[in-house]
Amino acid sequence: MSPNPFDPAARLTGCSCGAHASQAAHDAGHDARLRRAVETTLLRAIFPNDTNRRAFLRAVGTTTATAAIATIFPIAAATEALADAGPPEKKSLKVGFIPINCATPIIMAAPMGFYAKQGLEVEVVKTAGWAVVRDKTLNGEYDAAHMLSPMPIAISLGLGAPAQPYRVAAIENINGQAITMALKHRDRRDPRQWKGMTFGIPFDYSIHNYLLRYYLAEHGIDPDSDVQLRLIAPADMVANLRAGNIDGFLGPEPFNQRAVYDGVGFLHVLSKELWDGHPCCAFAASQKFITDAPNSFAALMRAIIDATAYAHDPAHRSEIAAAIAPANYLNQPQIVIEQVLTGTFADGLGNIRKMPDRIDFDPFPWQSFAVWMLTQMKRWGQLKGDVDYAAVAREVFLATDARKLMQQAGLSAPATDTKSFAVMGRNFDPSAPEQYLSGFAIRRT
Amino acid sequence: MNSFISIEAIARRFGAQPVFENLWLGVPRGSFTCMIGHSGCGKTTVLNILAGLDAPDDGVVIVDGRAIEGPSLDRAVVFQSHALLPWRSVLGNVAFAVASRWPDAPRAVVQARARAAIARVGLAGNEMKLPAELSGGMKQRVGIARALSIDPKILLMDEPFSALDALSRGTLQDEVRRICTDTDQTVFMITHDVDEAIYLADRIVLMTNGPGARIGEIVVNTLARDRTRADLHRQPGFYELRNHLIDFLVTRSAALRDTMPPGHDNRHPPEIRLTPPRSTQETPCAVNS
Amino acid sequence: MTLSLAARGAILSLLILALFLAAWQIAVSGGGSAPAMDPEYAKLMGQSAVTGHSAMPGPADIARGLWQALRDPFYDHGTNDKGIGIQLAWSVARVAAGWLLAVIVAVPLGFVIGMSPLLGRAFDPFIQLLKPISPLAWMPLALFTIRDSGISAIFVIFICSLWPMLINTAFGVSSVRTEWLNVARTLEVRPIRRALTIILPAAAPTILTGMRISVGIAWLVIVAAEMLVGGTGIGYFVWNEWNNLSITNVIVAILIIGLVGMALDQALARAQAAVTFPQ
Repeated sequence: MSPNPFDPAARLTGCSCGAHASQAAHDAGHDARLRRAVETTLLRAIFPNDTNRRAFLRAVGTTTATAAIATIFPIAAATEALADAGPPEKKSLKVGFIPINCATPIIMAAPMGFYAKQGLEVEVVKTAGWAVVRDKTLNGEYDAAHMLSPMPIAISLGLGAPAQPYRVAAIENINGQAITMALKHRDRRDPRQWKGMTFGIPFDYSIHNYLLRYYLAEHGIDPDSDVQLRLIAPADMVANLRAGNIDGFLGPEPFNQRAVYDGVGFLHVLSKELWDGHPCCAFAASQKFITDAPNSFAALMRAIIDATAYAHDPAHRSEIAAAIAPANYLNQPQIVIEQVLTGTFADGLGNIRKMPDRIDFDPFPWQSFAVWMLTQMKRWGQLKGDVDYAAVAREVFLATDARKLMQQAGLSAPATDTKSFAVMGRNFDPSAPEQYLSGFAIRRT
Repeated sequence: MNSFISIEAIARRFGAQPVFENLWLGVPRGSFTCMIGHSGCGKTTVLNILAGLDAPDDGVVIVDGRAIEGPSLDRAVVFQSHALLPWRSVLGNVAFAVASRWPDAPRAVVQARARAAIARVGLAGNEMKLPAELSGGMKQRVGIARALSIDPKILLMDEPFSALDALSRGTLQDEVRRICTDTDQTVFMITHDVDEAIYLADRIVLMTNGPGARIGEIVVNTLARDRTRADLHRQPGFYELRNHLIDFLVTRSAALRDTMPPGHDNRHPPEIRLTPPRSTQETPCAVNS
Repeated sequence: MTLSLAARGAILSLLILALFLAAWQIAVSGGGSAPAMDPEYAKLMGQSAVTGHSAMPGPADIARGLWQALRDPFYDHGTNDKGIGIQLAWSVARVAAGWLLAVIVAVPLGFVIGMSPLLGRAFDPFIQLLKPISPLAWMPLALFTIRDSGISAIFVIFICSLWPMLINTAFGVSSVRTEWLNVARTLEVRPIRRALTIILPAAAPTILTGMRISVGIAWLVIVAAEMLVGGTGIGYFVWNEWNNLSITNVIVAILIIGLVGMALDQALARAQAAVTFPQ
């Protein structure tokens, strides 16, 4: 059970998982938990600083505080709203996406009717780049958007843009990226030979950046001094690879496969082979939207979770490829999308490879993903100073909501919010991020 | 003398250098006055002050009993460069002036009046042409039509014919003389051209050289009032008059700048009247008015 | 037989075009050798990779693409897939909105600056400082403050159209010939009437020159701005086709952008000719 936010002794910024008295307490009462969640959110909004909150509660007393806040905010109503979703407050929504395979659930939910099933009219709007998606979501043109999963963390922390509370409602895809190298490097498969090369990445706050840096560093290449990393839009990655401006890139699909299709590159390694089950993109929304239109948000989430579950089934992949390849969505040759989604693909070196889970879809926003990303943000100097890993992860990655909605959708959801995993054989324990961080030879801390 | 225009002790300086100082001049109503002088004697400045486009540093100009303060529709100007508005037709240019004079007049009245003014300078049929389609002489006719169209009390002309070829200049001089004589228009005109002054002017104001120019003398034109351009040189006294003017311009205008004759009074410059010669021995007599 | 200069020029133009197209066709049709490829594998690969042909489209491909785009310019297959006519309409509408706003601001302001040497001097440092800023540099600031990408795009058009018009209007107004102003003074024309009947027509050719420069810049900028913020417009169309690495459609869009830009320029040139007076 979450700590009582009205308890002056409780720390809201502490780890929520560790706070359970027992698993029985955790499952004790759905309603009490929801009410507590709403109250917590509310108090956090009123007192972003934990010390202030505690001082306030000590001063006026818990009961008074609850009553006072209840007069200006209908806690009961809000709790109810989240519990059994009423009709969406806002039916017609705009969701931004970047035309890459990561957005598959967001996109396919439109032509395949997942949004409509939830009573929503969603316009999925193609957007030119990550910074634009961020800006358009921040300024309210989009209600929710496809983002790189580290972006909401960065936005919430105020990295690269003014801090705004941002939430990862669901992970869209796992795996499904690759390091693509120019054909001329077909005989230089050992990364130790890559000193002096130039690589493309789609965004600073991207799993692509962290994975490529990780991969290079594991092979003794310092990504800051031994090679050059360049921020390049996915389509430009292929063009630059053709032109010889870059030697390779770690980019999203379908552009790795597109480089193969156009005969300019080969798939050096799939991201799945570095970290099986890594998150890539996220379905994200501002806290403001979640608070203002909880039913719309819940309906959107259900649609995305449904779509993700549908996409998870390999039998549906060809159908999805046909739905999202046209000009209105990804605007790519269908055969390219199909190779990405079905996992039967040309590798650019003359081989046909079969890897059905080359890309997969799993909505659960593991908070340990966020912790790992934070370690990498710190590792490469994007994030300076101390960070409360678990608190940020819990703030931004809405595991609880996702779990509830997954269960409602009849999906099996993980019981915990964190898990351990291995990246290139190195085990990651989310409860000991600093220790993990200090285990790297190449780092900027 | 009952002066319609009375220039009283005006001075104009550019920096410390006076163009002229303590300048006095009277212009009778209905007279045609020409001012002649070399460049730099300030004649255009005098005209601009009369027009109200420039203001004297000292002194005052009285027109019809009232000191002038700025430009007025009572004093129409014909500019040396004609200054037509090139985006307006001949009619448009003249009508612009008419509409300025009578802002409340109906359009038809304005147009009719403008057309009449255009006809008066012999440009009937060219109303719709743009200035660029006209010859230099025609443009200046439009300038004159524009000035006359507003029935000014005084017509001010700044070397209006200097940019024209000899033929056009002659015809235009005829037109101006006819119109001004017919209407008893008070005219003040600047010119370089001695023959033009003799033909047109009743009184010729001779300026000494600048800076610090003065009115050397005022020559009263005693030639017959019904003179024409064709018979001008046969008029008795024409050559005496002409020689006197040229002599002034060639030698005396410079000499007088340095030393004025004793008894010269800026307020009453000498008024010269060359009587028609009965014999060649006769000398001019100076009359102080 | 002698043809007029215009006719000979036209023939030469066509000849240059034909030569260019032929050279282009030859350059792209140089068939590389088809690499040996397993047929199953080949099915997964693109045309240029399989045949070894250049990925650069030839003139015939462009003509086909142009026909495709113009045959049905107003189709609407969803939010992100609309015909080129609709996209052009969006772009032209944005340019028109930003440009007209700039006219509304720049012409009166330019008038004031041009008529008052004091204000001219006072505004000059700001104009000189702001003028050379790339319009697109305003985009992040606009997005952040206006919080709407469509209006931001219009704002960027506004800001890039402003300076040429402002500077030209001020220059045109300040250099109205003194003799015309003197005509107005001797006719006792009141300031408002003088502004409208003397200064405006006298400065109109210069102002229109500014407007023409502005519309040219605006058209250049809108394409870039729409590539940046996306959503709709011809810039988005280019970006979307580039995202698909469809060189053919990118070239088609470039051609159409050029044609529309030319049309805008010609429209302003006509307006300019209409207010220009022979001296």
